[in-house]
Amino acid sequence: MKARERERKLRERFGAAIRRTDLISPDRLCLYVDKEAVREVCRFVFREMDARYVISVGLDDRPYSGHFLVSHNFAFDRDGILAALLTELPSEKPEIPSIADIVPAAGWAEREFRDLVGIEPKGHPYPKRLVLPDGWPDGAHPLRKDYAWNEVPKGWDNEASFHFDDPPEGCAVVPFGPFHPTLDEPEHFRLYVEGETVRGCEYRGFMVHRGIEKLAESVMGYNDIPMLAERICGICGCVHNVAYAQAVESAAGIQPPPRAEYIRTVMLEIERLHSHLLWVGLACHILGFDTLFMQAFRIREPVMWIAEKISGNRKTYALCLIGGVRWEITPPLAEELRGVMDKLEKEWLDVARAVERDRNIQRRTRGVGVADARLVKEFGLLGPVARAAGVEIDSRKDHPYAAYDRVAFDVIVEEGGDVWARLMVRVKEVFESIRIIRQCLEKMESGPLQAVIEDELQPGRIGLSSVEAPRGESHHFVVTGENNRPRRWRVRAPTYQNLQGIPAMIKDQTLADMTIALGSIDPCFSCTDRLETVDFRTGLVKVWSQGELEKLVREGKSD
Amino acid sequence: MGGELKAILGTAATCVAQVLWALLLAPLVEGLVRKLTARIQSRQGPPIWQGYFDLLKLLGKEDLEAGEIPWLPRVAAFLSLGTLMFMACVLPLGAAPPLGTETDSILLVHLVTLAGLGALMAGFAAGGTYSLIGSSREVMLMVLLEPLLAVAVIAGAVHRSSLAVAEAVRGGVYAAQGFPWSGLILLVVILLAFPAYVQRVPFDIAEAETEIMEGWLMECSGPTLALFKYSAMLKLVLYSALFVNLFVPWGEAGGGVGAWLFFWIKTGAVIALVAAAAAAHARYRADQAVRWFGMMLAAALFALWLAGLGC
Repeated sequence: MKARERERKLRERFGAAIRRTDLISPDRLCLYVDKEAVREVCRFVFREMDARYVISVGLDDRPYSGHFLVSHNFAFDRDGILAALLTELPSEKPEIPSIADIVPAAGWAEREFRDLVGIEPKGHPYPKRLVLPDGWPDGAHPLRKDYAWNEVPKGWDNEASFHFDDPPEGCAVVPFGPFHPTLDEPEHFRLYVEGETVRGCEYRGFMVHRGIEKLAESVMGYNDIPMLAERICGICGCVHNVAYAQAVESAAGIQPPPRAEYIRTVMLEIERLHSHLLWVGLACHILGFDTLFMQAFRIREPVMWIAEKISGNRKTYALCLIGGVRWEITPPLAEELRGVMDKLEKEWLDVARAVERDRNIQRRTRGVGVADARLVKEFGLLGPVARAAGVEIDSRKDHPYAAYDRVAFDVIVEEGGDVWARLMVRVKEVFESIRIIRQCLEKMESGPLQAVIEDELQPGRIGLSSVEAPRGESHHFVVTGENNRPRRWRVRAPTYQNLQGIPAMIKDQTLADMTIALGSIDPCFSCTDRLETVDFRTGLVKVWSQGELEKLVREGKSD
Repeated sequence: MGGELKAILGTAATCVAQVLWALLLAPLVEGLVRKLTARIQSRQGPPIWQGYFDLLKLLGKEDLEAGEIPWLPRVAAFLSLGTLMFMACVLPLGAAPPLGTETDSILLVHLVTLAGLGALMAGFAAGGTYSLIGSSREVMLMVLLEPLLAVAVIAGAVHRSSLAVAEAVRGGVYAAQGFPWSGLILLVVILLAFPAYVQRVPFDIAEAETEIMEGWLMECSGPTLALFKYSAMLKLVLYSALFVNLFVPWGEAGGGVGAWLFFWIKTGAVIALVAAAAAAHARYRADQAVRWFGMMLAAALFALWLAGLGC
């Protein structure tokens, strides 16, 4: 039991500073650490035990234990352990020593719990507002339990604007976003530029923060939240859906039936396929190579169709409930899926060969937006960004979930850490996904799709879950609660960590490389498909139905 | 006196005809290029008349004033289009140009520069961050592109010992005494740099939609934008015609309709080549492009030296 070993080692080293431990399962470890020792324990875990920083979560636990809590989550990837280091804080003026100077990756997470839960990270090197909107008054903390989900804070100021730092000497400011052709979501980078060289930047994001966590904790039930979780992301929604379900299952000790696990695996890989194909297309578009953009989207389309046949939707599959899945992959669907995979493999092979030979693309991507292994460690960078820097982390292998322990696949690792390496990682991962789906279809045993849950979910249990999204590990942290809903649910999408690496990745690059460097971490976007046409001659307005649009797109003709 | 007036009127009429022809053709060419690009990309593409629709739509829209000197982009747009229309009178377009004997080749080089100047004026007048970046990129490219074209024209003039358009431009580069080494080098050089002259991928660096959001064009709207778009369409046609004149002058010896038709087939082939190259490439970065054009210029100057030796 490796979690036990880790626990013993920490206890030996820190003694009474570790108040109690909770070995939830062989691969989930909870430690309650003294506030005074938290910096030293985190330093030891991060530097000497070489754990990967995952996220820090602030919790308002006052109604239950009378404390505020902070959980610093780390992952021991080689041992397959997810660990939470919890610290209890007093209910009045909660403060915790900041670990951001020891673990730079914790910079955002600490600023976030300062904003939302009102826990002050003492000694944070840059304690600026991160999540809350500009007009939000100080001292109102929406994730506290005595703060209603629909409350508008007193002192809300519609006119308030964000205060940016002064640019460094000799630099001009180039505003990048919130709306830019290559930014698919509103986020603002204030670039400090010397000539055409980017010297630094300030980031202001969270412009469309929807308070999903608060909604889940206040008004939704365990089995509603998977559908809400899915709407976090328009591209890798299924990841959040599965990750949430798994977090609750891990807290409650529920084991979904094997067939459900295979179906989860298949749907997650279908999602990775469409996401990687989309990314390769968009990356080419950013570089001005629109032909491959269009071809990638053409190749991707059948993946969307088969997803729709299985789940009823091109995206947003509404797959999981706690303890199972909602959709069956019937034999005819499995057969069709095999066909889609065969065709995809053949077509993607052509694309991969063309890209690998293309010197033009290499000139634009080699040595651009470099994130080396050191940066990956410091900022907890994830997914293709980490693997492109030679860091072999992949939750599917390190923290196996669903049916990933029963299929063979390779973790694609490249050297160089530049955009080119990330491109290669994603291009090659497509083939691995196809491999996984084929094995799942082969090995999938028949049986129920849903585990029978007879007992009530006990409150106060902690669940941790990591799912490898196309962009990297999505981490969900759940504390079970009363009224059929969790007390706290914290989602850490991979882009949350990867964005923190961007300032270092774009420094001293030209402005032209900024878009592809940013694009190379693959931030997400979503879109809608509705169309209205106006006939000029008759003035008739026709709103196209979904079915008609599909016919037009798939068969090239309308009725 | 009457005869002279008649001659002037005749020249004027030919000028008008040639300009009108170029103006009418350019949006269609744009439509065809878009169709061809769409086909390469497995798309349906817009109707081939889309170029005309776009211009009409933009001409009917409000001209939003923006930037430091709002009237300057408008002037710049007229300057660009006017320059290109004048070029249509000077350039042989399948027949002897109406103003071909009165102008020399250096003027042609200056006209190309003048047409590009509109981009600078519009960008600097708008004064926005992205407009300025676009304009400064345009300057960077112009500094290298202008001498490149000048070398090609001058090499022809050296061979033919004449600066007249009909002499220097019409295949003058190949008029060496022996094997036309200099001409062939220049053919390759200009071919490799050609997309930059017509603002296409991989050298549409000053506009670069996905980087700097159309750069110098960003603040232009309505009729001003229409005129700049029209200029870009004309550029593609006229510069491709210039390329044919410079480097592919063959097959028009007989004159008449056949020669005219063949000239436009050749020009169409050049345009198709530009479209295909754009579809098969990613955009280069400004510094990469500058290094590339620097190398091209070195090769061109070497070719000019060869031309001076009569090769």
